[in-house]
Amino acid sequence: MDRTAVDGVGFAIGRGEIVGLLGPNGAGKTSTLSVIEGLWKPAAGSVTIDGIDALAHPLEVKSRLGVQLQSSGFQPELNLAQILRLYAGVYGVRMTQADTLDALDGIGLEQEARKRFKDISGGQQQRFSLLIASVHNPLLLLLDEPTSGLDPQSRRSLWTRIEASRRAGGSVLLTTHSMEEAQAVCDRIVIIDHGKLITTGSPTELIAKHRDDPRVLELAHGEPTLEDVFIALTGSDFRD
Amino acid sequence: MTDTTTTPRATPSIGLTLRSLLAADTQVILRSRQTLLLNLLMPIVILVLTDRAGRGSGAAAGTQFGDAGFLIAMALTYGLLSSSLMGYSITIARDREAGVFQRLRVAPAPTWAIMSSRLIVQFAAAIATSIIVIVVGSILHGVSYGAGSYVLIFLVAVLGAAMFLGIGQALVGLVRSTTVVNAVGRVLYIVLILLGLLGASGLLGDTIKSIADWSPVGALITLFVAVTQLAAWTWSDTGALLACVGYLVVFAGIGIRWFKWDPR
Repeated sequence: MDRTAVDGVGFAIGRGEIVGLLGPNGAGKTSTLSVIEGLWKPAAGSVTIDGIDALAHPLEVKSRLGVQLQSSGFQPELNLAQILRLYAGVYGVRMTQADTLDALDGIGLEQEARKRFKDISGGQQQRFSLLIASVHNPLLLLLDEPTSGLDPQSRRSLWTRIEASRRAGGSVLLTTHSMEEAQAVCDRIVIIDHGKLITTGSPTELIAKHRDDPRVLELAHGEPTLEDVFIALTGSDFRD
Repeated sequence: MTDTTTTPRATPSIGLTLRSLLAADTQVILRSRQTLLLNLLMPIVILVLTDRAGRGSGAAAGTQFGDAGFLIAMALTYGLLSSSLMGYSITIARDREAGVFQRLRVAPAPTWAIMSSRLIVQFAAAIATSIIVIVVGSILHGVSYGAGSYVLIFLVAVLGAAMFLGIGQALVGLVRSTTVVNAVGRVLYIVLILLGLLGASGLLGDTIKSIADWSPVGALITLFVAVTQLAAWTWSDTGALLACVGYLVVFAGIGIRWFKWDPR
């Protein structure tokens, strides 16, 4: 049976902006990303990237996007250097062997060039996945829970790289379950639940807008946080 | 430094995309040496067990199994069956479940290029298997064909590889689960082998022999034998050719029509 995963979710991302797409499990975050990535064709609505209609010109739009999926999806037989050369080529970037090693050196993985993806640590996997997503210097990076399962050092390193991408003129749309992280790094937050847009604004704006909401007051221990606002808006029931 | 002479904002050239995919798929297949060797094992075992020393003696004498041309054709067919049907369908199902296709599809690679690259590499592996089998078969069985026959054998090998790849495509088109594809693929493989071996022998009666003769394995064996004896070409050989083309069109059609890139 067909089910509506996302309905009426609309937002824009400015150049150089980091936007956090937040929502409980099953809210429609990954579905929203899947539509932007071109994996799912929406029954209605539109996606425009850099002025290009993503539904009419998917390849043109995909060449402007960098995508880090929740699961890696790299061929298990290939080593890191081979995977990097594959995706560089697919994104239209010619890489020599030396370029490949340079790029891996840039994320501290030159020594691991001949290792397979599954044989490196979780932090190294995330750094490598981000390198693949940004190998062509994309206009928009889509990151699905990029820091999930990372230790603080790896998380910090990842944010440094995401920030560097932003400084280079790229925009970022990410999903995360870490409200602290979203509050700290995102310029703007989009909260969705049950496939619908609940609210949007900067973390400061959202907290200011909802700070007198009785639900937020009940949850807050002292100064309200983004997490208090998030739970107040989406409810405290468990989601699977 | 990375050479960005191709502007990252432009849609990447299809030539570079296809070259990159082909390079990766070739590396994947070369890393699967065990699979490649296993694909060769069955046809080579057939050729070794039925070499000149054993062929003319005992129960084989006077039957198709006493004919070197038939044995080489059977070995060629089984080689193509192993590499094209089993190897292809299991790899596609596994990569679909592991999200390999999903990752490629969020990149600017057309889906036809992703699949064409896979098919080209599988074709190359199947043809390489066929060349090894024909060389080993010719040596062990003391058979020598004319240059024209080798060209025709090559063309039939291409058709046979395409037919079994089509059956493999139909399998992954109709079945989503990797485990089920694996199980069904193995059963299909065994059934097709037994149809070829037992069916062609006539041991199971005329009805089974007819089914075996017109099965994908039987039709391909008939065709391989026919192209080495063109002077003796019959309507039955034409029927085998049409059957192989028919299987290719029908199964590839089913596989393409119902194939889903997403495992869910």
